[in-house]
Amino acid sequence: MTTTPVSSRVHGPILFLAAVFLVVVMPALNCYGLIADFTLNLWGKYLCYGIMAVAIDLLWGYTGLLCLGQALFFSLGGYMMGMHLMLMIGKLGQYKSDLPDFMVFLGHSQLPGFWQPFYSFPFTLAMVFLVPGLLALVFGFLAFRSRIKGVYFSILTQALTYGAALLFFRNDLLVGGNNGFTDFRTLLGSDLRIATTQRWLYIATALLLVAVVAGCKWLTKSRFGLIQRAIRDSENRVLFSGYATANFKLFIFVASAMIAAAAGALYVPQVGIINPSEMTPEKSLEAVVWVALGGRGSLYGPVLGAVSVNALKSWASRAYPDMWLLILGGSFVLVVMFMPKGIIGIPAQIAGLAARLRRRRAEVAPDPAPATQMTDS
Amino acid sequence: MFPPPVRRAALCASLLLQVGAVVVMWLSARAEAGPAVRETIAAAVTAATPDEQREMILSLKATPSPEVVSWLDKWKEGAIFIYQDDEGKATALLLTGSQDAADSYATLRLSDGAPMCAADGSPIRINPKAVDFADTDSGLRRAMKEVADLAALADADPDKRIRAIQDSAIGQNSDKLPALEAVRLLEKNPKALRALEESMAIIRLNSPEPEQRITACNTLGRLHSIAARDMIKSMATETDAATDKDTRTAANHALSAIDSHIATINALGTAFRGLSLGSVLLVVAIGLAITFGLMGIINMAHGELIAVGAYTTYIIQNVFAAGLKLSPFGVSISIPGLNLHSGGNLYFAVALPASFIAAALVGLLLERTVIRFLYRRPLESLLATWGISLVLQQLFRLIFGANNVQVTSPLWLSGNWTVNDVVFGWNRVFVIVFAAAIIAATWLVINKTPLGLLIRAVMQNRNMAACMGIRTERVNMMTFGFGCGLAGLAGAFLSQIGNVGPSLGQNYIVDAFMTVVVGGVGNILGTVISALGIGVADQTLQQYLGNPVTGKILVLAAIILFLQWRPAGLFVTRSRSLD
Repeated sequence: MTTTPVSSRVHGPILFLAAVFLVVVMPALNCYGLIADFTLNLWGKYLCYGIMAVAIDLLWGYTGLLCLGQALFFSLGGYMMGMHLMLMIGKLGQYKSDLPDFMVFLGHSQLPGFWQPFYSFPFTLAMVFLVPGLLALVFGFLAFRSRIKGVYFSILTQALTYGAALLFFRNDLLVGGNNGFTDFRTLLGSDLRIATTQRWLYIATALLLVAVVAGCKWLTKSRFGLIQRAIRDSENRVLFSGYATANFKLFIFVASAMIAAAAGALYVPQVGIINPSEMTPEKSLEAVVWVALGGRGSLYGPVLGAVSVNALKSWASRAYPDMWLLILGGSFVLVVMFMPKGIIGIPAQIAGLAARLRRRRAEVAPDPAPATQMTDS
Repeated sequence: MFPPPVRRAALCASLLLQVGAVVVMWLSARAEAGPAVRETIAAAVTAATPDEQREMILSLKATPSPEVVSWLDKWKEGAIFIYQDDEGKATALLLTGSQDAADSYATLRLSDGAPMCAADGSPIRINPKAVDFADTDSGLRRAMKEVADLAALADADPDKRIRAIQDSAIGQNSDKLPALEAVRLLEKNPKALRALEESMAIIRLNSPEPEQRITACNTLGRLHSIAARDMIKSMATETDAATDKDTRTAANHALSAIDSHIATINALGTAFRGLSLGSVLLVVAIGLAITFGLMGIINMAHGELIAVGAYTTYIIQNVFAAGLKLSPFGVSISIPGLNLHSGGNLYFAVALPASFIAAALVGLLLERTVIRFLYRRPLESLLATWGISLVLQQLFRLIFGANNVQVTSPLWLSGNWTVNDVVFGWNRVFVIVFAAAIIAATWLVINKTPLGLLIRAVMQNRNMAACMGIRTERVNMMTFGFGCGLAGLAGAFLSQIGNVGPSLGQNYIVDAFMTVVVGGVGNILGTVISALGIGVADQTLQQYLGNPVTGKILVLAAIILFLQWRPAGLFVTRSRSLD
């Protein structure tokens, strides 16, 4: 895998136009009623997934670490935001209590200590990054220190996610058990159930996506990114050249976790619910599918993959509910086998095929007979 | 045998006489029960006063038998009627035959079973609503219960007898001692004898004489009687320390003996449960130890291959019974059944090889169509097989429905085996035996067959093996098929101890991968040790934390930390190559 990333061949202006379209044009169209509120909300969700996909790509496509725990970081970010949103419900809940409904239901009379600071939005925002970041730091430190890599890293992150999901399903962790958090009312004083708030959330998501893509692009183009890709291609050589690869990987792992967490924090107010089924290993694998489908090793492919797979899912799971998993699973097998570079790689693949065809034609050109035969058949 | 003081105290003169009489009469009663019993009961039914009735019922204590109990039950149920003839003489009657036009029935005398005839010889028919039935009051019923309890002690079935003996200790009623003593002289069954000793000691705990209480405590301590624990505990705390020091000491001794016995039982039970959980993990992971451990393929569809085996078992079971109707994709398929009567126990013998073959075939199909292109790209084989697992899960849903299907396990699996108060469920024993058999078979295949030799050669160095003329493509295929077949066996096995549904495999896949990783990739012995270790650790944590989920989370955390210490698992395959 020593080819230049496909992304570098995609022209800047197109990307700029796409960014403008997502950040400015779509909300504007929604403002004038040309795009339904529902559609915009749906796109907000897709773009959150897109951000998570970029985070996975940073790890997998650029550093060669397939992490099956990205859904965990995503939902941890979501949970942090969810805790703030739950407290913002105030006395508007079912039980008219200051406590979140599920706590009243479980018979608590006082807010647990660790919930108290989540009344503050800045604290919540800090936690969105800190909690998943710390988890990634500790886990990554342990994993990279003992040089766990390749599939072992995947399996371990899968186990981590599985264990965390089991933990969050429990009621006595006091984060809502298997129902999670829902029924949110306000964020920063504005009602979450009106179109304007949702539009601003969408804009924030789109901006974050653009920022993340730009940031990652800068990072991967820097010297740091070069080492990153070198680690992907041959970690031992980098190690023997005197680089502490574990630290590089740890930095990327933590950064990727934080990006996913930020996406999760924006996802929750837009979707209106977070529960432990979001952090299962299957969700992580699903996100990895988007990246593989869109094309890893490029920063736009994952976004493209996340949006297209989820758009397909929205449509197919309504139109062919029985067939949806067959379509997803089947297309995934096909992509892995025949399109190793995903959707983004298709032009290059076609170009490669065309070049081979041209070469073959050039070889057979002196003898026109086969060519005419081909056109006949 | 009881020590002399107890004996002396217990067998005071009157009781001795009574016991002797009971035993003699009981022995004779076993020879000829019938008519005498019926006459006594008939007489009791028609006796003049309740006291007389009571007396007569209690006299039956000499001949406790199931027959006596059945007649007494009839009495209690109101199935015995009292006929007053013209002279006012009462006769106990039973109704027989069918109802006639006047709502009347033919009658039989209770005392000898002969038809009841009037003076002119014509049979008497009575309407049950017109005559009185034999009534009972609470005193009579208590007497009847005493007789029935005694009859249970003499039951022919040892299990029932033991239960009756254990029940007799409830309430610590010293009136029951003579009967137990009498039974003890005749009892041969060692378990029943032990139960007798225990019950008698429990009753004697309540004795007014401190000497007896102390002996009873000692006996119960020696027997590790769990049933007596609470009583001894209250004795140890409530007895006045100053006045009755010996009793208190004895009770404390007995209590600590029983408690240490309980601790041993719990430890053994935990170890056994851990072993059986480990065996389940082992069975599930052994196929993976081949495909992942030896071949390096991350087969996320391994769980679905397990489900293939489980569903094959389901189909075979139905073929042996009444057949099966499926309707995948709107096409209805009807599989005819053999309707075998003994199918319930037999089908499993067929299901085992069938599930192996079915899963192996699916595995071969996968290998040929997808996996062989991905041997050099392990991460991508992970993703592709995950796609396959999604497809397979959905296919199961479409073919067999989204709900769990019913696989009945053979009856012999539901029993258990109790050794010294530790319960060994047959299904858990089966789990362990099955796991051992699979491991033995796998080890033989890998180490003692030509195929195994080829497998090991190719897995160690594919290129070198190819140079030596081994057809590595084919060996890959066979190895993968073998691993998948083992997954199918695991499915047949899981269908016996749990639910069979489309997501059966998903419940085990993470655990299975962890087992293989901890054991050390490429080492079957490592997988065995890690599976058993994880199983026992899981059950022990569960025992101490009292919560299965927390235990599981802690085990996962422990595994992650363990891999810090040994990143390549328990058994490392050393090589000089640098990945």
